[in-house]
Order: sequence, then structure tokens, then C-alpha cells
Amino acid sequence: MKYETVIGLEVHVELATESKIFCSCSAKFGGEQNDHVCPACCGMPGMLPIVNKKVVDLGMTAGMMLNCDINRTTTFDKKSYYYPDLPNAYQTTQWFAPVAVNGTVEIETSKGKKSVRIKQIHMEEDAGKLVHDDWTDTTLVDFNRTSVPLIEIVSQPDLSSAEEVIAYLERLRSLLRFAKVSDCRMEQGSMRCDVNLSVRPEGSDKLGVRTEMKNMNSLTAITRAIEYEVARHIDAIENGTEELVQETRRWDDVKGKSYAMRNKETAGDYRYFPDPNVMPVVIDDEWFDSIKASLPEFPEIKRARYIDELGLGEYDANLLVESRAFCDCFEGAYAVCKNAKEAANYLISDIMNLLNKKQMTVDMLTLDGKSLGELINLVTEGKVSRPNAKKILAVMFDEGVNPAEYAEKEGFIVSNDTGKIEEVIAAAIASDPKAVADFKGGKEKALMALFGKCMKELKGNCDPQTLREMLIDAVNKQ
Amino acid sequence: MDIKVLKRLEKLNQLQLTEEQETAFLEFWAKQAKEADAMSEIDTENVERMVHVMPIMTVVREDKVIKNFTRDELQQSAPETNDGYWQVPRLVE
Repeated sequence: MKYETVIGLEVHVELATESKIFCSCSAKFGGEQNDHVCPACCGMPGMLPIVNKKVVDLGMTAGMMLNCDINRTTTFDKKSYYYPDLPNAYQTTQWFAPVAVNGTVEIETSKGKKSVRIKQIHMEEDAGKLVHDDWTDTTLVDFNRTSVPLIEIVSQPDLSSAEEVIAYLERLRSLLRFAKVSDCRMEQGSMRCDVNLSVRPEGSDKLGVRTEMKNMNSLTAITRAIEYEVARHIDAIENGTEELVQETRRWDDVKGKSYAMRNKETAGDYRYFPDPNVMPVVIDDEWFDSIKASLPEFPEIKRARYIDELGLGEYDANLLVESRAFCDCFEGAYAVCKNAKEAANYLISDIMNLLNKKQMTVDMLTLDGKSLGELINLVTEGKVSRPNAKKILAVMFDEGVNPAEYAEKEGFIVSNDTGKIEEVIAAAIASDPKAVADFKGGKEKALMALFGKCMKELKGNCDPQTLREMLIDAVNKQ
Repeated sequence: MDIKVLKRLEKLNQLQLTEEQETAFLEFWAKQAKEADAMSEIDTENVERMVHVMPIMTVVREDKVIKNFTRDELQQSAPETNDGYWQVPRLVE
């Protein structure tokens, strides 16, 4: 018998905010244990939450990027939860009126295009970190991550293979990074995913028994886990190897197996109820419109524009639209220098090298596009040599200096001062009479020694062809 | 509500009630439920969901980090700490 797989995803994304969702503690990843903590996020009695506006901004942004309807009155609810990583004994989340509902995400796989429906996007707080200490046989609690803002993106069960799941996650990541909602770094846990999966005979309209795998945080692990679960389900159905039950399972990527965790609690078990401590968030027209106006151009529209209007090759355009930071820098540079190819080349080779050297991701790029454009102008106008432009770029990358001012200050401007060049040539000739004699005696290579000396003295700020001609002239006159 | 539902709620809330407490709670609940049932007789067709008992909306704050407390201050009331962590009885997943 042939089977089909039905998959729905819940994707948690940590939002790119400075502070937590309901208090002013830092939302930064890491830090000393319990350093980003206050009475509100460590659950002291009597503390009241105050909503971070940026969280609602980003929740709305995500909703609009995924074609959702925005709930103009959105409310927070309490979800009962009894683990010490959430010290209130509930998670503040959204159940009755989440910020965004009914969206779609378009994906493309080897089987063609497909539209995946989004059920809802809700805003909520993350839980803290528990460390189990074998020495004292206790559990240690770190509240730094408690109350860090998240959105959870819940899809309808529209996905049917690991390939589609990966395409969907990559599409989400691209859209959310573009809109600066999150850096979506799976390895740091800022994007993680619960996979709900069931298997049924092809053509059947009845869903099979559903299992859920929680907190998957790498694309390869997700692929392996889905393939394993599908095989396990089919084996259970066909051969009766085990009885499938609705449950939460943990994926062990090292062993390549999934394990049962606890009986899946149904929604009723969480006993959601409206949080009386957080008043409804009402999104007025002005707020709504300001978010709408801030949405970026979609990556594929940018890519098409780079190729069709700016004449970039497909390869270059694809690399640029990987990251919003690259696009911003590229567009800023193009606006100044009107030279798309040069701007793309600097980004894809030199700037990429600088990022790699410093072990930074492309999203960490802070280089101002306008400055890059100015540097390109200096090069194309012949005012700065290419090797020196690289040196200037490295300093711009680190310190954000103005390229023209820096070039001037450090003596990187190409000299048109023939008097100065003649002086340098005269000094070089005087210092090395042997090279002069050798050259005159027919050893062409001897000129290179003199040429190198002059170029060094001029700090590379000279047109090599001009220098060469003037040097030969001067040597021959000796 | 019967004893089965109550037992389940106890489990979900990680509570252990004595038999007397259970009996007392079920008696109390029977009265409460009667009153609650009376409400379901009200016709709520076409009535918009009440989002909050007060007709007010939230204020929001700007996304700015403010550090008001040190870890040591916060952990003064902790029964047990260990190397900057709050220490609690071991949890079994």
C-alpha cells in the first residue's frame, strides 16, 4: 500500500529585541547565569507585566510577511505550566486572539510550487534554562532566557515530506530575516521547530495517529527525524510492530532514533485563560500603517530587479539576496556609484572574506553602503589604486571611517605630481647604480628592483604604467 | 465534576489533596457549578467577546534595556542558591 505523510509545524522564533517581552531586562543570548533578571521575570509576587512595543511591531511584521490577517485587538492569556524555568507557574502567551491569523507561505520544491497555510502567529515568552546537577542531585535554574520574546508560527498540516518542510523553514527564515524580525539562527536556538506528523494510506481523508517531535534545531536533524518517524509509523501500521499513540517524542540525532517523552497534553490540559494583568493591545490605524510601510521588498522581487534592471548575473544576485544586510549595503553603494557589478564584487569577495576572517555572519555586517559607493568611485576615478582600496575597505569595515578622508590622511591618494615621482626615481637610481648598469647592459629584469623601490616610496599611489615609462626614460638618460 | 475529574486536576496542578479536602471541594464545586450553569441560559448570540473586565487597553513601553537589580539582591529571598543559580529539587523529565 502507498502512504502519504501529513506534517504541520510549530516554529518558535526569538524576536530581535533589546529587552524582554514584559520587563526591561536584556534579551541578549548568553551572559552570566541570572544576570538578565528582575523581580518581574523571576516571578516575584505582585509584579506586573508591561508589554514591549517592539514585540508587537515584530509580531505584526511577521504576520504581514506571511500574508496573515492582523488582529487589531490582540490579547494575552495564561497557559498553565509547572516547571521552575517559568517561575510564575504559567506561560504568558496568546490563545484567544493571537496577533496574526490565516496566512500563507509559498514554497518551491522539486515537485513544484505549493502554498502552505498559516493558522496563526502568537507572541509569547520563552522559558529559562534548567541545568541538572548530578553532584548535588538538584536542578539549577537560570532565568536569563525567561521572558525573552518569541513568536510561534503555527502552520496547517499542509506539508507532506522532509523536502517540503526544509523548503518551508528556509522560506520562513529568509522572510523573517529580511524583515529583521529575528536572526533565525537555529544553532543558537533563536529558531526551533516542533514537527507534528502522521501517516495515512494515500487518498484517505482520515488522519492517522499524530506524534510530535519537539525543539528540533537543525535542518539535517529535522530531515533525519522525519524520515525515521515516517518509516516507524508505516512499520507500525503494516507490521503491527508497535501500537501508535498520540505522544510527544524526543529526537536523538546521535543515535538516529526518536523516543517517547510524555503523554501529549491536549489543549484543554493547559487550561488557557485570559491574563487579567495584561490589558488588550489595541493596534490603531496609525500603528498598523507604520508597520505596513516598513515592510521590505520580498527577496525574489529584489533578485529579479538586480538581474533585470541592474544587470547583475544570477549567481551574484542570488548571493546578495541571501541577506538583508548585504542588500542594504549593496543598494546604498549603488545609489552612490551607479556601478552594480563593482558593488556586488566588493561584497561577494572582499567583504565576505572580511566577515569570514572575523567569524561574523552576513547579518552582522554594519558597513555603510554609501561609504562603499564612495570607495568604488575613488577606484574607478583612478584616485585610489585597487590594492590600496582593499586596505581602506578593511579599516572601513572595522571602524566605519570615511574612505576619502581616510585615503587622504593615510596618503593613499594616487599622485599626479610628476615632480614628486621624478624625485623618487632620482633617489632610487642614485641608490642602486648596479641596477641601472644591468638594465642598460640588457638585463630587463633589473628594472623591477628600481620600480619596486619607487612604488614602495610612493606607497602604491601611482599609476604603474606612468611610473614605468618615466623610470625607463630616466634610466636611459643616465 | 466528579472525583475522577478532580483527581485529574490534582495531577495537572501537581497537588495532593486529602480525602476530606476532596469531599469538601466537590461539595463546594457543586454549588459553584449551579451558579455558573445559570449563566449559560443567557442568550449570547451576536454578543462580541469581552476581552477584559475593564474597558481599557494596555500601554506599551519602548524596547530599552534597564537594569535595576543585581543577582545577589534578587537571590536574597531564595531558599537555596548554587553558583548564581536558583537551586530546586531535582526534576525528572
